[in-house]
Amino acid sequence: MTGVRKRYPGSGVEVLRGIDLEVAAGEFASVVGRSGSGKTTLLNLIGGLDTSFEGELEVGGGSLRGLPDAELAAYRNRKVGLVFQDSQLLDHLSCADNVALAAHFDRGGRGDRARLRRRADEVLEAVGLGGAAGRRASTLSGGERQRVALARALFLEPELLLCDEPTGNLDAETGAAVVDLIAGLHAAGRLTVVAATHDDAIAAAGSRVLELRDGVLHEAAREGR
Amino acid sequence: MTPGGMARLVAADLRRHWRHFAMAAVGIVLGVAALAFFLALGLQVRRVLLEQVFPADRLEVAPRSADLDLLAIRLPLGRDALEADDLGRLAEIEGVLAVRPRMRLTVPALAVGGAAVFGAGLQSEVVADGIDPELLSGELGGAFREVSESFVERPCSRDGECGPDAYCAVSAGICRPYLPAVVSPQVVELYNGALRRAYRLPKLNPDAIAGLSFELIIGASSFAPSSTDPLRERVRLVGVSEWAIPLGLSLPLGEVRRANRRLDSPAAGERFHSAILEIASKDALPGVVAAVEASGLEVSDRGAGRAALLTAVITAALALVGVVLVAVSSAHIMHVLWLVVLVRRRELGVLRAVGARRRDIRALLVLEAAVVGAVAGLLGVVAALAAGAAADAFAGARFPDLPFKPDSFFAFEPALLAAVVALAVGACALGALAPARRAAAGDPADALAGR
Repeated sequence: MTGVRKRYPGSGVEVLRGIDLEVAAGEFASVVGRSGSGKTTLLNLIGGLDTSFEGELEVGGGSLRGLPDAELAAYRNRKVGLVFQDSQLLDHLSCADNVALAAHFDRGGRGDRARLRRRADEVLEAVGLGGAAGRRASTLSGGERQRVALARALFLEPELLLCDEPTGNLDAETGAAVVDLIAGLHAAGRLTVVAATHDDAIAAAGSRVLELRDGVLHEAAREGR
Repeated sequence: MTPGGMARLVAADLRRHWRHFAMAAVGIVLGVAALAFFLALGLQVRRVLLEQVFPADRLEVAPRSADLDLLAIRLPLGRDALEADDLGRLAEIEGVLAVRPRMRLTVPALAVGGAAVFGAGLQSEVVADGIDPELLSGELGGAFREVSESFVERPCSRDGECGPDAYCAVSAGICRPYLPAVVSPQVVELYNGALRRAYRLPKLNPDAIAGLSFELIIGASSFAPSSTDPLRERVRLVGVSEWAIPLGLSLPLGEVRRANRRLDSPAAGERFHSAILEIASKDALPGVVAAVEASGLEVSDRGAGRAALLTAVITAALALVGVVLVAVSSAHIMHVLWLVVLVRRRELGVLRAVGARRRDIRALLVLEAAVVGAVAGLLGVVAALAAGAAADAFAGARFPDLPFKPDSFFAFEPALLAAVVALAVGACALGALAPARRAAAGDPADALAGR
């Protein structure tokens, strides 16, 4: 990100004020800051969920600025996995259907229904929810929902995982389990992770900690575990 | 978006929001049922009117009359005949397959004979005209045809020597062909209903009237001076036809033309009192009637004209019902989908976050609406069929056996039913367009944040 600025329409406040940030492939960067400091906005921009900003934003060597809707959708579909604070599961669908949601929009195609189901079982197993594929999302606990959301983000094997307060709604024990899961997935592959958090455990899990303060990003720590 | 994925999402969404969609479908079911019911009724009315009451594949055209009434006398001021140019113009009208001219016999004629049927020979003045044999080829085959020109006269002394279609004109000692003739059903009804009672004559069977023969003296009259050299022909009835002159005798056109030329004038053999137009289809009728009237002629069979006008009005009224249905259905589904889109704003944001394009979201919502339209359309058709069956049962039990009463008052054609279902689908898809565009607008981040 180079000189990225963001102001919401109708608001006089500039949420991001010239952000310069480079995250290397395979890095785990945590973004901390007070509520309303712009962490979610920052992740939305990186994830291609928000397209109105000033400055330059490149992911994997390609600029997101002015990208047509179809290409931006393909970027969200194939390159990025998103985990939201409130999981954003579709309650009327089963865990497997939630997890495989991105496959419906994968123009490259990832095989037939049986193969998608096997992949859903695989990622659910990876987040510790093996056997929950048929359960409706509405029946899950908070921790389970966040695990399913994580499985959904990982379904198409993205290069970049963006986590927005992934433990924000969880108790300490469940939150710690989710943090371990993300750290483990990061350690197991070449997954690049950017996590916005209040949670010291997540901040500690990352290799970099960045603090967003007054719309400006500060390097808070460079050594992680 | 993959077709399978689309189908699964649509099915899941319809299950989840079935109450909203059921609410929207009620109006569409009622609208489609009403539309199918009235269109089927209109179609059947039209069919009965144009195929049975006023057969509309043929139309009689005559010169426009402009008479002046002076006490008991009516002075004809307008043209009373069609010329060759008129026939040419009529043939060029779109939808006209053929023009069949008719020519009145312009000299008096006497019919003499009938002793074999009536017990005694009768004599009566006869009004006659000539019609194109092709006009009746469908109903009478080749029995009604021109005979004089192709007939080879030969000497004879009695009828049996001349074959089945000719007789021996004993005074001349030569074989002559029978002139084929047709009468209208009204002639038979008038005879059987009134004349036979007044004159104590036997009742005629219209189905067995063919073969009856009598002498026709063209140029002779009981009231007016007769020609010094009348034509004496023997006529044989070959059938009954709606296209025969209402109270008289219709002969092949060429026979009447020859008689007019010989006994009246050469010009009388070129002037036609009317023409029958064969129409390509009932749908072409209103246009043909309008073109005929625009050319300064008139449709002499006003029933057909009125039928054409009536069916046009019915069609227009039903089309209006269709337009109202489209508007109401569209508005209804639009209203419901606005609500659904509001309720599902975050959910649609999630779909976009995981890779849905704007067009995927639009397609998803339009397809959901189309499925609702298809289901509602099918239910509407079922309701219309049930209402039609109930109406037929009621009419069968309560209505007397009126002329032209059909077995069913409804023509539920498969094409009609498919069209109303398609209309419901189209209306719902149309109504979904604006909400779908609204749902797909903006960034996913706004939808996820509920902005």
